[in-house]
Amino acid sequence: MKKLIALVLSSAMVLTGALSVSAAEVTELPREETLYFGGQQWGTVNSYNPIGTNQNNAMATTAQLLGSRTLMFETLYMYNFLDGSLTPLLADGDYSWNDDLTELTIKLKDAAKWSDGTDVTSQDVIRTFDIGVEIGNNTGTGYGAYIDSIEAVDDKTFVIKAAVTEDGNPVNPLKVNDFLGGVFIAQAAWIDAVVERNGGDATAILNDAAEDVVWSGPYTKYFDDDQKVVLVRDDNYWGQDASMWGKLPVPKYIAHAIYADNAATEVAFKAGEIDVDQQFLPNIQNTWLEEGLPISTYMEEAPYGVCLTMPTAWYNMNNPILAENTALRKAIAIAVDYDTIIANAMTNQSPSFADVPRSLMNPTEGEQALYDHDAVADLQFAGNDIDGANALLDEAGILDSDGDGWREIDGNKISLNAVCPNGWTDWMAAMEVVAAAGKNIGVEITTLFPEWDTVQTVFTNPNQTEYDIFMWSPDGAGPSMPWGRIRQFLDGDLVGIENNWTGNWGQYSNERATEIVQQIPLTSDPEELKALYTEAIQIYLTEVPSFSLMYRPAVFHAVNESVWTNFPEDGDGRNIPPADCTDGYGIAALYDLELVG
Amino acid sequence: MKNTLRQIFHSSKFVVGFLIFVGLLAVIFIYPVFHPGNPLDMIGVGTFAKPGTYVSLYDSVTTQTQVLKLPEAADKRLAKVLSDEDRVKIVNYLTAIEVDVEGLDYSDTDALLEAWRANYDESLKPKGMTKAERNYYKRLNNSLNSMGSQGEMIVTEKDPSGEEKQMAVIGTEDYVNVKDVANTKNLVFGTDNFGRDVLKELVSAAKTSIQIGLIAGTVATFIGLLLGLLSGYVGGLLDDIIMFITNIFTVIPSFVLLILISYSIGQDKRGAPVVALVIGLTSWTWTARSVRSQVISLRNRDHVNLSRLSGHSLGRILLTDILPYIASYVVMAFILQVSSGILAEAQLSLLGLGPKTTEVPTLGLMMNWAMLYSAHLNGSWWAYFPVIFTITLISFSLNLMNTGLDQVFNPTLRD
Repeated sequence: MKKLIALVLSSAMVLTGALSVSAAEVTELPREETLYFGGQQWGTVNSYNPIGTNQNNAMATTAQLLGSRTLMFETLYMYNFLDGSLTPLLADGDYSWNDDLTELTIKLKDAAKWSDGTDVTSQDVIRTFDIGVEIGNNTGTGYGAYIDSIEAVDDKTFVIKAAVTEDGNPVNPLKVNDFLGGVFIAQAAWIDAVVERNGGDATAILNDAAEDVVWSGPYTKYFDDDQKVVLVRDDNYWGQDASMWGKLPVPKYIAHAIYADNAATEVAFKAGEIDVDQQFLPNIQNTWLEEGLPISTYMEEAPYGVCLTMPTAWYNMNNPILAENTALRKAIAIAVDYDTIIANAMTNQSPSFADVPRSLMNPTEGEQALYDHDAVADLQFAGNDIDGANALLDEAGILDSDGDGWREIDGNKISLNAVCPNGWTDWMAAMEVVAAAGKNIGVEITTLFPEWDTVQTVFTNPNQTEYDIFMWSPDGAGPSMPWGRIRQFLDGDLVGIENNWTGNWGQYSNERATEIVQQIPLTSDPEELKALYTEAIQIYLTEVPSFSLMYRPAVFHAVNESVWTNFPEDGDGRNIPPADCTDGYGIAALYDLELVG
Repeated sequence: MKNTLRQIFHSSKFVVGFLIFVGLLAVIFIYPVFHPGNPLDMIGVGTFAKPGTYVSLYDSVTTQTQVLKLPEAADKRLAKVLSDEDRVKIVNYLTAIEVDVEGLDYSDTDALLEAWRANYDESLKPKGMTKAERNYYKRLNNSLNSMGSQGEMIVTEKDPSGEEKQMAVIGTEDYVNVKDVANTKNLVFGTDNFGRDVLKELVSAAKTSIQIGLIAGTVATFIGLLLGLLSGYVGGLLDDIIMFITNIFTVIPSFVLLILISYSIGQDKRGAPVVALVIGLTSWTWTARSVRSQVISLRNRDHVNLSRLSGHSLGRILLTDILPYIASYVVMAFILQVSSGILAEAQLSLLGLGPKTTEVPTLGLMMNWAMLYSAHLNGSWWAYFPVIFTITLISFSLNLMNTGLDQVFNPTLRD
């Protein structure tokens, strides 16, 4: 009996040994042909489905406003957050609006082909949009309200018909632009096959693992397990046609090891096991200044990257104390020491609020030019104004009447919490600085760092009363910016939406602000637009429904040049955004990479 | 009693442990007297300032100077911007841009700099040179330029009207005495990721941690002692019930229990005393078991039986006839509980489940933030090593005292 057990055990060991060897063989990639990524994928990949939801496949299926990740699936245009341009990918040449901004005509490239050799046609675009509306994926929910239908002119030309209001105006032409750079086009024939095998069940389609998916991009699935995910170059990629890139991307493999946490990723990045890292590294300059590692960022001086968004502390208007006391909201906001947040929490990877005064605009020159700086200069508080904050509270009658060091409203001590997800280091530190500001003005603020799973269900719930001040980031860049961000800050129409990922997480409502949000997309006169933007900023800075804590890159982009070099850099004339060589026009970097030495 | 104390203080282990502990307590109480202020003040803008003395540059410009002719000053100044490694790199650069470096001597600073200044061009992108390397050369060039020509420096001040007024002329041989400068700050352990003075924070954190340890130890020892006494002396059904509960708590790893309770309390209610209480409530089991077994062995001693026959109450018997015999053991258990309470707080805080963060620093929280800002990866040892050392010192001293007591009270260990 014992012998039998020993035999079983030993054969089991041999078997597992053999298995792991074969897995190792698959994953042993030639270093000189592989570009390693970090900070994107945190769990085992669950699908390669371009029309599904809940995918966690960061490298293959990330669709986002600032440029979708077009390694495996492709969008019509590639967004470039450096200059806001849209470069044609599947599309051929520029798109053209009709005069009423109700119809948008686009032609597809003749060369554009699916991996099975068939042409990318208008039918594919139409089917992608229609299935989205049908099953309610992100394309459907994100654009269904703004696009009425897409109609084919011929095999390679189609017209996007914008949804119109009763008076014949388009609902929002800006959102139609977002569609061009954000939505992955899937093959109509493949969509039909998926619908058929799932019997048309929307939930099943959304969660289909899509093992048989047809793609159009330069890379495809090669290998994935709980340790890593690898994409391999498709050497038949249509984009090597002269009408697109004229060549194949340089790395043969795109690999992303799945690390336990930020610290593990950081160690691997410093060791040169990761080439491109999408991760906040505190004091990143020390990696080259002190440690002499071959690491660099897009810009060699602070803030090291292109800051596109501003993580913001939102006041929860479901809390009557916050909703009814503008003075309290403003007092906390002007008492916070933003210089400390930027220098200590962000380790200077953000311009300061002295460099870029607060508004609703991100720090890019394009957006900064959109509003009247002089008209709002008095309102743009710089922070750390303890005296001002105390005076504001005293004036509003919010006093410490029982002498315990904390102020009261209606006899009750004000006690607020300040929340962000656990492990989001720079945000946690920022919240600590907010809490310290509270202490200085006699308002008790306690930090709270629940796990991300909890935070996301609470702050997207329009009726939540658990968090008083919580941190979340509005969108950074995209074809519809800055309108999209202003909407996220001020649109009263977003109040009460269940499972709200769209915006106005603090449930703030102001009639005039909501009107402005509706007017902006329909306004084309620059002067008029400037007036609207300026007024929106005035309302925002007077009412303080939320306050931005720092500026931040939409994606972090640091590279270790142990193996690869010639990554995009500031002022190299290529106009490739630092988007991890994958997002939007950032993917152009893959075609220029060179091996070191 | 006096005799016992004399015995205890004869144990060298106990004395060493005791002295360390008293020393720590002395620092904790005396340091804040000389360095008052809130330990959580974020004095530094920027993270992880190195340990050392910081001298106000602004003040030193206007401080009385003393001329010192130091022969090696110029060399040191040069070495600061141009290390041997930099010299090699300069030659590498010149080679990469195909400049003839034949006959160029590494140690000949003037020739090297001359060749560098003549040939370095920021806009060049030599083949095969990474951006990281190009950045390095740019920085090197900047620092070589900032070294200047070793002439006099003129400091001017802008007055409110915008006019520039000359404030000082600084020569290469001017020195100031640090004692004369109005503002200097000695940061023994630098600053942490929030720009807080680590030493000040550490002293305050050690105090909080010892308090947490004392509360946790008292709670755990009290519960353990009470249940152990009752269960051991009364026996029977009560013993069964108490041991049943104790066993349940023993088989559940107490740290898991600690995590679950801390998590469910919620961060906003987790002050330091609450955390201490939770630690105490989850770590009493082994005290209860050991006290019980000791009491069982005492239960049938003659003096206990006599007391019982005299009709003394349960409480009186426990307090006067049993407790004194196990007192030494209880004291030792208490010391260990304090030590493990401090460690438990550190572990909890490392997981982000420690006391809420804005009120008081604790040793665990300091380590938690140091880790979040990867102090252990970027070489900022001062943000975590002093903390670890303090924790070690506290538990080392407590354990040493415990071992010393053991030697005194445990007959089998007596010398």
